[in-house]
Amino acid sequence: MMRTYSLTRRLIVTVLLIELVSALCVTAVAFLYERHAHFRAFDILLRGRADSLLGAVQDAEDANDNVMLDGTEVMLPSSDIYEVKDASGRLLGRSSNWTGADGQLHQQKFERDGREREASGSDHSLFYETTVNGKTYRAIRIEGLRIVDPGDKGGGIRRYVTVYYGSSTNRVWKAVFRSVSFYAISSLIVLAVTGLLMAWLLNRGLAPLRALAHGAAQVSVVSWYFSPPESARQSKELAPLVIAMEDLLSGLKQAFERQRRFAGDAAHELKTSVAVVKSSLQLLQMKRRTAEEYEAGLERCLNDCERMEQIVAQMLTLARVEEGKGGQPAEWHADVLQCIHEVVGQLSTTAQGSGISVLIHGENGIHATINPELLKLLCLNLLMNALQHSPQGTGISVQVLRLEDKVEVQISDQGDGIAPEVLPYIFERFSRSDPSRSRKTGGTGLGLAICKGIVDQCRGTIEVVSQLNTGTLVTVRIPLADEDRKKALQQ
Amino acid sequence: MRILVVEDEVRLAANIASALREGPGFAVDCAEDGETGLMLARNQCYDLIILDLMLPKIDGLGVLKAIRAHKDQTPLLILTARGEVFSKITLLNAGADDYLSKPFDLGELLARTKALIRRGKGVAHPTLSAGDLEVNTLEQTVHKGGEAITLSPMEYRILEYLMHRPRVIVSKEELLEHLYDYNWEHHSNVIEVHVSNLRRKIGGSDDGSAIETLRGRGYRLLNGRQGR
Repeated sequence: MMRTYSLTRRLIVTVLLIELVSALCVTAVAFLYERHAHFRAFDILLRGRADSLLGAVQDAEDANDNVMLDGTEVMLPSSDIYEVKDASGRLLGRSSNWTGADGQLHQQKFERDGREREASGSDHSLFYETTVNGKTYRAIRIEGLRIVDPGDKGGGIRRYVTVYYGSSTNRVWKAVFRSVSFYAISSLIVLAVTGLLMAWLLNRGLAPLRALAHGAAQVSVVSWYFSPPESARQSKELAPLVIAMEDLLSGLKQAFERQRRFAGDAAHELKTSVAVVKSSLQLLQMKRRTAEEYEAGLERCLNDCERMEQIVAQMLTLARVEEGKGGQPAEWHADVLQCIHEVVGQLSTTAQGSGISVLIHGENGIHATINPELLKLLCLNLLMNALQHSPQGTGISVQVLRLEDKVEVQISDQGDGIAPEVLPYIFERFSRSDPSRSRKTGGTGLGLAICKGIVDQCRGTIEVVSQLNTGTLVTVRIPLADEDRKKALQQ
Repeated sequence: MRILVVEDEVRLAANIASALREGPGFAVDCAEDGETGLMLARNQCYDLIILDLMLPKIDGLGVLKAIRAHKDQTPLLILTARGEVFSKITLLNAGADDYLSKPFDLGELLARTKALIRRGKGVAHPTLSAGDLEVNTLEQTVHKGGEAITLSPMEYRILEYLMHRPRVIVSKEELLEHLYDYNWEHHSNVIEVHVSNLRRKIGGSDDGSAIETLRGRGYRLLNGRQGR
C-alpha cells in the first residue's frame, strides 16, 4: 500500500527548512560581520593604547641621552600586556603582569611572519596574535621616534623605540558571540512562530478542500447528488476541480442512466420474447390438438424464437459497436462504393421479391475512415429499413458524394415516412413510439441505434429527413481516408 | 365473461387471447397501445382488463390511473417485464388488483383471471350455486340436484354470468357486451335463442330456481334460498 503523506506537513516542513537554512546563513554572515567590526574597533583601541604608551616614553635625562618608560603617567587596563624596547633591543619597560620570557611578544612576530605582512599597514605598525600564559592576545607593534633634546644643535638625538602592546581577545570574542547569539535566538523564535502560524493558516486555508472531499465522499452509486461547497467553487485553484468533477459526474450519471435504461429495455424485450415463446408452447399444451394444429403452433414458436435470436444478436452488435471494438482507427479504411455494392447484392433477393429497385450512383474509389465491416453493417441496416418501409414498385436510391473532407452517403426511399413526433427518438434503443413500424415488420428497435453507434465511433454524422407518405432521406457523413484527403488537398 | 387485453407485443396478445377463449371460454378484445386500450375500457363492458406496462402512446400506469379516475371498478391484472421501473407497490396502490411478471405461466394467468373475475363479482369460491343448481367454474360443469346437465359453451357462459348476478335484472345488451368480443356480430336474438335453450335444459324447480324473462328489460335468475 502507498504511504499517505500530509500536504500540510510537507509544506510546513519545507518552509521551515528554508527558513532554517536562511537563519543559518544570516547567523553566519552576522558572525563574520560582527567579528570584522569588533576586531576593527579593537585594533583602533590597541593602536590608541600603544600610542599612549609611546607617549609615556620619556627622556631618561642620563648621560647617554637614553629614553625611559614612565609608567606612572599612562592609564592602561591592568589585564593588557606590553613591552617597550629601543632600537638596540634594550628593554625600556613592560607591564607588571608580564611574566613571560623576555622577548616573547617580539618572537611571536617572527613566527607569524606571513600573517604579519598581511596585516601590516602603511605605517610601521603590525598586528598579530600571540598566546601568553594560555591566553590569546592580539598584539600590535608600533615603532616610534623620540627625539632627545630637540633644542640641541643638530636637532637632538633620535631614538627609535618599538612598542609591543597586547590585549586579550576574550572580551571581543564574547561581544561577537553575544550579538551572533542574538541573531540566532531571534531566528529560532521566528522559526517557531512561522511553524505555528503556517499550521494554523494552512488548516484554515485548506478547509474548502476538506469540504470538497467531504462533498465528493457523499457521491455513491445510489446517490449521484454532488454538492460542492461554495467556498471550493469560489477558490481559483479548486474551481476547475469542482467543474471537472461536476462534468464528470453528470457525464457518468447520463451514461449510467442510459445503461440502466438500456438494461431495463433489454430485459423487457427479452422477457417479452420469452413470454411469447412460453405462452405459445403452453397454448399448444392446453388440450389435445390435431397434427396440423401442432405443426402450425411449432411454426409460430420457431418464428418467435427467431425474433428473440434477432434481438439478442442485435443487442450484442450494439454492445460491440458502442464498446468501440471496431479495431484501431489507423486500420480503418473502406472503399465506400464497393461496400455498398456488396450490401445491395446481399439484399437483391429481398428487393426483387418486393419489387423494389435499388439504384446506386457515385464515384468509384472513395475511401472512408471506417472499418469496412461496420460500414457494411451501417448500410445494411439503413437499406433494410428503406426496403421494409417501401411499398411495392417504388425505388431506393443510394448516392455517394465526395465532400471537402468527408464522404456523404445518401439513401432515399419513397416509403411511408416517419411521423414528425417520432423523428427525434428514432436513434434511441428500442425506440418504439410507433410499434406498428417495428413490431409488425419484425424489427427490434435497435437497427438505427446501431447505425448511430457506428457513425459516432468513426466521428461521422447521421441525419434523417422524412415526410409521412412521401419518403425518407438518410444522410451519413464519414471522414475521408487520409490518402483521399491529401489527394483532394493537392487538387 | 369478456376480457380486454392491452399488450403491444401482438404475438403475446394473440396467445393470451387464444388461451382465454379456449380455456374458460371468455370473449377477448385486444388493444395494441394504451390509447386504444383506454378507449375500449371506457365502454365498461369488461369483466377484467389485462394490461401490459410498456405500452406506446399511453403507458400501462397511465391507462390504469385513467381507468380508476373514471370510477371504473373493473378488475385489473398487470403484466410487467420490468418490476424496477414501477414498483409493485406503486401499481397496487394505483388501483391494480394483481400483477404477473413476464415470462408468466399461461395456466397461472388463467387461474388468476378467473379468481379476479370471481372477486369482482363478490364471489370467493369457484363453485356457484343457486337453489339446487350448482356451477363449477373451474370444470365448467353444471349440476342440478346432483345430476349433471350438458350445456353448449354459449349456454354455459350465459348461465355463469347470471349466476354471478343472482336476482339482478340483466339486459340482453349487457349479456351481449360481456359475452361477445368485437369480432362477433351483435344480434340480440342470438341471446334469446341461447336463453330459451338454457331455460329448457335447467327447467323450473320446486324451489323456484329458474330464469325469468322481464319483457323489454332482460333476464333474472331466481332462486328460493340465498345461493352462493
